[in-house]
This record gives sequence, structure tokens and C-alpha cells, in this order.
Amino acid sequence: MSLRHFTACSWASAALGLLLLVGCAGTDGKVIRVACVGPMTGEQAKQGKDMLEGAQLAVEEWNAKGGVLGKKIELLVGDDAQDPKQANAVANKMFTQGVVVIDGHYNSSCTIPASEVYNQRKMVCLTPASTNPQVTDRKYPTIFRVCGRDDQQGRAAAQWIAKHLPGARVAVLDDKTTYGQGLAGEFTKSYKELTGKEPVFTGVVVKEDQDHTPVLTNMKGSSPDIVYFGGLYPQGGLIVKQMRQLGMKTSFMSGDGTYDPEFIRIAGPENAEGSYLTFIPDQEKLPTAKKVVDAYKKRFGEVGPYSLYSYEAINIALQGMVKAGSEDGEKVAQAIHSMAFDTVFGPMQFDAKGDVLVSPYVMWQVQGGKLVQLPADS
Amino acid sequence: MTSGSAFFQQIVNGLTVGAVYALIALGYTMVYGIIELINFAHGEIYMLGAYFGTIAAGALLLAGVPVYVTLPLALLAAAGLTGLYGLSAERMAYRPLRKAGRLAPLITALGLSIFFQQLVLLTQGAKDKVFPLAITSAGVTLGPVRVAYIQMLILAVAAALMVGLQLFVQKTSMGRAMRCTAQDPLMASLVGVPVNRVISLTFVLGSSLAAVAGVLVVVYYGKVNYLSGYTAGLKAFTAAVLGGIGNIPGAMLGGIFLGVVEGLAAGYIGGEYKDVVAFVILVLVLIIRPQGLLGVRVPDKV
Repeated sequence: MSLRHFTACSWASAALGLLLLVGCAGTDGKVIRVACVGPMTGEQAKQGKDMLEGAQLAVEEWNAKGGVLGKKIELLVGDDAQDPKQANAVANKMFTQGVVVIDGHYNSSCTIPASEVYNQRKMVCLTPASTNPQVTDRKYPTIFRVCGRDDQQGRAAAQWIAKHLPGARVAVLDDKTTYGQGLAGEFTKSYKELTGKEPVFTGVVVKEDQDHTPVLTNMKGSSPDIVYFGGLYPQGGLIVKQMRQLGMKTSFMSGDGTYDPEFIRIAGPENAEGSYLTFIPDQEKLPTAKKVVDAYKKRFGEVGPYSLYSYEAINIALQGMVKAGSEDGEKVAQAIHSMAFDTVFGPMQFDAKGDVLVSPYVMWQVQGGKLVQLPADS
Repeated sequence: MTSGSAFFQQIVNGLTVGAVYALIALGYTMVYGIIELINFAHGEIYMLGAYFGTIAAGALLLAGVPVYVTLPLALLAAAGLTGLYGLSAERMAYRPLRKAGRLAPLITALGLSIFFQQLVLLTQGAKDKVFPLAITSAGVTLGPVRVAYIQMLILAVAAALMVGLQLFVQKTSMGRAMRCTAQDPLMASLVGVPVNRVISLTFVLGSSLAAVAGVLVVVYYGKVNYLSGYTAGLKAFTAAVLGGIGNIPGAMLGGIFLGVVEGLAAGYIGGEYKDVVAFVILVLVLIIRPQGLLGVRVPDKV
């Protein structure tokens, strides 16, 4: 490229850049902008849509009541395409558009980098679905988590085993990812604390592999009664299937990463029967959620697993804003920390890190080829 | 780690994986033997076979075909359709470049591999495709070793196909034509061997074998996705090189050997290290016997 060309090009790009800036003008102060940010396109577009519908419902309700601080609420949509780099870019875009409250993101791997931006720009961010401890462990004052944490989940599983299967020989497998290793590690820690016993076997399954028979063969030698797996449903399904192919009757327990109907299909319904999964409670059965669930169904149809968390993320932020009497992110966050909320999940309060005080996890089991929530007291 | 009694179980696990590697490796080695092209799209051909099998099985079950004929029919459908893909890949991507040196076809193969991956991603989505038939996990227990029926099926089908292929290449006139073409395509064409047809047939055979491997794997593991071909292709290529690329019995031995080594490495050292062990062995074999386990050192063809 010659120098003249280069100069021409830079002028052209500068002009384009100016145009873009014009397009990004902030609010004129007449509305309050909130945004729902998540994977709106790609493989997880369904989860993004679930989040967005929850947010829409909440915003519509607030606007019907006259908005907040005398202003209407405007809901913006951001797409991170489940890509951490894109999450960071969309976070910056939301700042330039004058958004004060973020309901997002879905994946922990997106929420973590994006929250760096939100923290720096003092925007309030409430994630409805990211369960990795790192999201709140950095103790950023304006970052909150409405759902549970992976470590609460590992603990819930260990408590269940300690209570219902006290004499069981327990094996632990993980897939070496941040999520899987964290979950299995937290399970093992709680299991040791609660029972004073060590797992009879620990092993690793490689996420990229299809064949887990070598590690399962080794595990078979320790004859465990139940195996706890930290990882996602494709491997979970294969583990169950291959255990049965090796003639093992070991029960299977895992977390929300395995909570997917595909888990049962990959394992085969016969093989998966009786498997345990920790997950959030069935919202359609929560008495406190009935009104919202009915309204949601009427407006959008089926309620997604994280739809209502997204709904409550918006509610909590706006209630905080009312109490703070300001749109300033830091003041809103302080208000949220100081309040107790009445949500569809029951009373909700946040600790100093921005996590919910009460672990939401309950035990589910595969029964007759379907996932069924077990009663809390059985 | 693995106890003594688990040793034989690890061997059985490894044999099953190895049989699949061997079936895919045959396609690499046959194509290399004939036109000295490393067909890097072959892993994707295997993945396509798995998809065709899954879709065919789904359609057949929907049409009310009984379960026990669904699997053989799905295998045939996958082998046939994937064979056509292999045929067209050769016609459209490789044949125009046959006289273009070695680098251009190699790069075309890589391009084709990306094309197939994205084709499946766009038409079938990124999610795992689950085989519609739940295959029984039952099996027989022989002392400390448990062999599932599906493992027996994989080993039996693989063995039958390998014996069949060996007979075809050694005993039939088309097989003789293939061996001729492999030795010297120009000379073969001068003595009346239909070289183009032989090459097409090689691609069809290799692709169909890979498709059978694909369907067996999707039945065994229950799922496939658009990236499944990459690792499987790489492993099968390793197996072909290990056995001596261009050598059909070598590919079979290489596949079985690689599967068993991986199984034992995963059992005794840990799953994270099995690829390390497999590739270290490949490097050692190539240092000590560059022509591979069964390969013969051929003088450069001029």
C-alpha cells in the first residue's frame, strides 16, 4: 500500500469511526436503560432467549407500575455469543449506551471478563446463571449472583450422600475443566468433612475423549457404590453408558452441567435410571412463583431453567434503585447489599461478596427416563 | 491404578478402540498407496458416515422398520452414501490436481476437511447427535473380563471387513489392478488398467470402510458431533504411519496396536497421558523403522 493510499484509508476509517460514535449516543436522561446480556445466537440461543423473556416480563411489570424514579425503563439486548472476547466488547458497548443495570451473562467464562468492565464503570451486574465461584470471589462491589455457586452445589451433593447413603463407597471423577474440577473438589472437601472418609477412588476423564473405559476399569477395581462426577452431560452420559457396558452397577451423581435430557439419551434411559443430579428446584412447583409462572406462560410459553432468575435479577436491581433514590451504580449496589428481597424463590439476601445466602440446590433423580425432583426431606 | 486382573479388561477396551482406528486407517493407507496423497479429509468422511448412519437409523425407526434390521440397513446406507462423498471428493477436489505436484492436493485435502466440518455444522448444528437406538449394555463376563455384546459386534465386523478387503486386493482382478496402479500408474495405464476407475474405487472403498467405523462408533458411544472426525482421523493417520503407510495389513496392525497402547497407557498412567504415550511410540517407531512396522523400504519411484 502506498503512503497516499494509506492516508486516504485512515481518513475514511476515521470518518466511519465518527459515524459510529454518533450512533452510540447515550440516553438523554428521560429513561433508565437496563440490559439483558447473554448468548442470544449460537448453540445456547435458547438459554439467551429464556433470560431475555424473564427480563422482558420484569421490565413490563415495572413500566406498568410507572417505572422507577419517575422514569420509564428501557430494556436493551446484548449478545455475547458465549464468547469471552465478545462478552467484553458487548460490556463496553453497554457502557457507551448509558446502561446502568446488567442482567447477565449466562456463561461464567463470559461473566468473569465482562464484570471487569462493569466493575471499572461502576455498573450494577446481576448474573442469573453463572455459577463459577470466581464470578463473585473477586469481591467487586457492584457484581451480584442471583443463582447458586458451584461450591454450594458440591456441598449439597455431599450432604445428600452423608444423609441418605452413609455407608456408601464413593468414587470421584472430574473432567479437568475449571467447572468440573471445582465442583468435584468442593464435593470431596465436603464429603470428607461430613463423613470423615476419603473417596475410594479418584480419577480424571479427558473431555475430548469418547472412550472412558480405561479409567472406569480402574474404578471398577475399587468397587464403589456411587460415583460423583464433576463435568458436563456428554461425558456424564458416556460414563454411565460405559460403566454398564463394563458390567458395573455403580450409581451416578453429578451437578447442573449434567442436567440435560441429552444426558439420559446418551447414557440410554435404562442405564441412566436412578442417577442423581443436583439442580435448582422445579420453579413450576414453587408456591411463591405461581403468579409469575402463570404470567410468563401466558406471555411467552414454557419457562426456562434460568428465566425466573433473570426476572428476579431485574427486580432486585430496580428495587435497589428505588431504595437508593439514584441511578448511580455504587449507590444502587450498596442498597442491594443492605436489603432483604421477597422473590419467587422465597426470601433472598446477599452476602458481602454478592452471593445469595441460602443455597438453592436440591436433588433430582432419573426415574422412568425422566428427571424428577426428590422431596427435600426424603 | 490398574490391578493385575484389570490388565485383560484394558486389553479388551483397547482392542475395541483399535479395531475402529484400523478401519479408518485403511482408507488413509489405500489412498496413499495408490496416489501418494495423504487424504486429510478422511477423518471427516468417517464423521459423515456416523451422521448418515444416525440419520438413516432415525428415519428407518420412524418408518416402523423393526429394530434388528435397522442397524444393518443403517450401516449399508451410511457406507453407500459416504462412498459417494468419497467418489465426488476425488472427482472434484483431487483429480484436477493429480499432476500438480504433492503440495496442492495436500492443501486441498485440508480445505475439504474444513468444508465437510462446516457443512455438517451448518446443516446439523453444533450439538451432539445421539444415535436413536438405545443399544443394550449387556455382555458376557469371562473371569475378570467383561465384554459387551456391542464390543463383540465391533470386533467381528472389523475383522470381517479386513479379511474381505485383503481377499479383494489379493484375489480379484480389480484388486490386481489396484496393486498395479500402486506400483506405477503410468505403466499400469499403458497395459490397459483403467487407472481413473481404480483410483475412484479406492476412494469409495476407503470411505465406505470409514463410514462403517463411524456407524459402529456412534452405536457404541451413542453420540457424534461435527468435530468428531478430527481426533479420530489424526489417530487413524498415526495408526497408518505406525503400520507402514501404503501397506494394508500394516494399517490393521497399526490400528490395533495404537488402540491397545492407548488403553494400557490410560489405565496405568492416566487418561491425560495416553496421547503422549501414543505419539512417543510413533516417534520411536519412525526413528528406528522409518518405513513403519510392516512397511517395506521402496526405492524412490522416478
